[in-house]
Amino acid sequence: MEFKLTEEQELIRKNMREFADKYVEPIAAEIDENSRHPAEVFKLLAEGDWMGIPIPGEYGGAGADYLTHILAVEELSRSCASTGFTVSIHVGIACMLVLLNGTEEQKKKYLTPMAKGEKLGAFVLTEPGAGTDVMAATTTAVLDGDAYVLNGTKTFTSNGPTGDFYMVFAWTDKAAGRKGMSCFIIPRGTPGMTPGEHFRKMGLRSSQTSEMVFKDCRVPKENLLGKEGAGLVMAMAGFDHGRVGIAAQSVGIIQAALDESIRYSKERVQFGNPISRNQAISWMIANMATELQAARFLTYHAAWLKDQKQGFSKEAAMAKLFASEAAMRHTIKAVQIHGGYGYCKGAKVERLFRDAKITEIYEGTSEAQRMVISGNVLR
Amino acid sequence: MPKVVACFKWVVDEAYIRKGGGGALDFSAVDYKLSEYDRNALEEATRCRGEGGTVTALTAGSPEAAKGLKDALSRGADTAVFASDPAFAALDSSQTAAVLAEVIRNRIPYDLIICGEGSGDQYAQQVGPRLAENLGIPCISYVQKLTVAAEGGRITAERRVEEGVEVVEASFPVLVTVLPEINIPRIPGVKDTLMAGKKPVVTVKNEELPPLGAAKLKTLAMTAARLERNCELFGTAPEDIARFVTALQQKGVSG
Repeated sequence: MEFKLTEEQELIRKNMREFADKYVEPIAAEIDENSRHPAEVFKLLAEGDWMGIPIPGEYGGAGADYLTHILAVEELSRSCASTGFTVSIHVGIACMLVLLNGTEEQKKKYLTPMAKGEKLGAFVLTEPGAGTDVMAATTTAVLDGDAYVLNGTKTFTSNGPTGDFYMVFAWTDKAAGRKGMSCFIIPRGTPGMTPGEHFRKMGLRSSQTSEMVFKDCRVPKENLLGKEGAGLVMAMAGFDHGRVGIAAQSVGIIQAALDESIRYSKERVQFGNPISRNQAISWMIANMATELQAARFLTYHAAWLKDQKQGFSKEAAMAKLFASEAAMRHTIKAVQIHGGYGYCKGAKVERLFRDAKITEIYEGTSEAQRMVISGNVLR
Repeated sequence: MPKVVACFKWVVDEAYIRKGGGGALDFSAVDYKLSEYDRNALEEATRCRGEGGTVTALTAGSPEAAKGLKDALSRGADTAVFASDPAFAALDSSQTAAVLAEVIRNRIPYDLIICGEGSGDQYAQQVGPRLAENLGIPCISYVQKLTVAAEGGRITAERRVEEGVEVVEASFPVLVTVLPEINIPRIPGVKDTLMAGKKPVVTVKNEELPPLGAAKLKTLAMTAARLERNCELFGTAPEDIARFVTALQQKGVSG
């Protein structure tokens, strides 16, 4: 077994660390406060080929492996979980869906500008009445001549207000059950598709989230992604990729919580000594460092399996489950270590704490991950 | 257009140095990085290269410093030359300059050599001037702006000196040492890093070079800086202010 990154992966990780320190860390509190999408940062991310790391060069990507993408998401998330997530869902789900299922023409037309970072992708599946229970979705796509007509309402769409290409799931044949959902690539501005207002969220505030309303939205037949009826299988495979990204985002959050806790506990003096000398504090930090390591290994292993072209659905769910719950556990501890200062705006741990919560919810709740994992091991 | 050589050093990343017992520095878990000012040197080299020029990144170090080659190549250099030997792990400035000069003299055609003003670890500011001396070419230090003449063959350099800015000209071949103000080094993109491994690297072994001279510098000890908290409270009465000024003078904060 070799627990070692390649020289390129190490350098790319360092470069992203430097990028995040220089361009993301200084604005992270502000974009959180104002729920602002930092378009200026995404322009720079595009210039550095960070928006399509695992996409082959012929489709505008950097042509590296998935683990390299995961390292970038982790390092970005260490500074700003929102920015890390936007890259993760754009690459891990939107780009991967087109790469894995698109026709050559779709890859040229949609994947290439997305992988170059010129266009932002979105994943449009969840509905007000259909979260974990995807089958409860009601959005339909009815074939009418040379186009499908979509009707329905989606919600919690990440990159909804800011996206360019939307991967939208709708029933083409509800009676066919799991084989009745299809996926469509819908460009922004298509008549009948209206992104809603950005939601005001507890955390992950600069990641733009909204409803998406479809009213007699005509989508040309050639925008069907993959085969008709294959949508659900494609969505689940998309989740497998995306979940490794959420795990990486969680790892970045825990690393940031650890960095802040170490720094603060060595500086903060109570009863004449830095509080890091108190066993109560040092053990919190020991647990944090240990679970960070475990979360990181689970995450890298899932990405590595993907790169080895092996099944990684269970491992992605395990990585996401463990890393996200660890992120929540340890950002709570990080705030505790910071005491009153950690409860106030301006402390990074306050933002980390709010950002951590969503990792247990989106791209499948922790409960949904346990369903995936138990479904795998109880087979 | 000019053939440019950018020299760089692969140094310990100080963020990983830990404080051991008795204030000793613990290097057991350190990582390495491309010395900061040398990033400016590499950036300036690629800028000066223009159309048709070349940039060669050059370093001397132990074989472990090979990692730095990809980093340097990802920053725009066309080729790298690596004087590699376990004996080069802890060269002093005079030895480094001698090794680099020997490698350049016989192996690298050049018009312009660019070094960082000082290295990120010791910041002795010696290698650049010594290298120029060894090669018998002029050296321009403290450069904050560099322009290659449109017709080629010479440069104009702005030097930041104590009393202001000095503008000097020199004909090729010439060596400059650059300050961090000269440019903002790029953060290599993903493709830059992936491409770096495909660029040519020439390795020069110790035995291909004349015998290494003795070091002129000997490190006796290195200890960590100590941070002490000294809290003294002063009031606003005139005698308190006088006491405050005296205290500042005693601490060396104020003259």
